[in-house]
Amino acid sequence: MPNDDLQDSLAEKRWLGALAKGDSSALGGIYELYGERIFRYAYRMLGNRSDAEDATAETFLRVLRRSSELRADGAFRTWLFRIARNLCIDKLRQHKLMELPADTQFACSEERTILRITVQQALADLPMEYREPLVLCDLQDMAAREAAGVLEISVPALKSRLYRGRRALRDKLKGTMERSLK
Amino acid sequence: MTESKELYRKLVDLYAGGELPTELEEELREAARHDSELGWEMATLRRTVELTKEAHPSPEFGEESFQRILIKLYTRAGQMQTQSPEPAHLQYHLPIQG
Repeated sequence: MPNDDLQDSLAEKRWLGALAKGDSSALGGIYELYGERIFRYAYRMLGNRSDAEDATAETFLRVLRRSSELRADGAFRTWLFRIARNLCIDKLRQHKLMELPADTQFACSEERTILRITVQQALADLPMEYREPLVLCDLQDMAAREAAGVLEISVPALKSRLYRGRRALRDKLKGTMERSLK
Repeated sequence: MTESKELYRKLVDLYAGGELPTELEEELREAARHDSELGWEMATLRRTVELTKEAHPSPEFGEESFQRILIKLYTRAGQMQTQSPEPAHLQYHLPIQG
C-alpha cells in the first residue's frame, strides 16, 4: 500500500472511530481527508462549482447521519463516492442537462479552447453508463476495482463500459481527432 | 499469426489507458507497424483518453471553496442536530406557560 494511502487509511480509521463515539467535530477531519476528491468528482459530474459544492456538503452530511453504522474497513471511501454519485445523479435529473464548466480558466489559444469545449460537450452527451466510468477512471484516476464498487457493478462490466465509452467518445470526436493527430 | 493479432486487438484498450507494461507496449507498437488498422485503433483510442484529460483539467479547490462547503456542512449539521423528535416546546415547561 503506498504511503499516502496508508496515512489516509489510518486517519480515516481515527476519524470514523471518533464520529461513531458521538464526536461530531470528527466530521471536519473526514471532510479534510476526502473533501477535495469528492468535490472534484462532483464538479466533473455536474459541470458547475455551485452544485458541486452543494453535493459535496450533502455527501458529508450523510456521513454524519449514518455515523453510528460506519466502519473503517476499506469500503468507506467507495461508499462515500457512491453517496456523492447518487446526489449528483439526483441533481442531474433536476437540471435535465449537464452544464459545461463555466468557470474554467481558458488560458490558451482560441483553437485549444474550441477543442476543449468540443471534447467536454462530447463527454457530456454520452449516455450515463459510458460517461461515469470515463469520469471515474480517466479523470479521477480511480482503479477499476474501486470504480466498479462505486458504480455497484463487476470489474469486467466496468471495463466493458469504459472501453465502449472511449470508443463512443472517439466516434463523436472523429473530425477533431483526425485534426489533432496530424 | 491470427491468434496474436486477436490478442493485440484485446490489448488495445489497456494500451489506451496506459495500463500495459513497457515491454508489452513496445511489442504492440511493433505489431502496429505491420497492421495499419491496429495502429489506427491504438493512436485514436489513446488520443481520446489524452483529449478527455486535457479538456477536463482538475477543477480548482481553493481555500474559498473549502470554507464554503464547510460552512454549508456545519449549518446543515446544526439544523439536523437541533431537530429533536419532540417539538422543543414540549420538552420544557416555562413558567410563563404555567
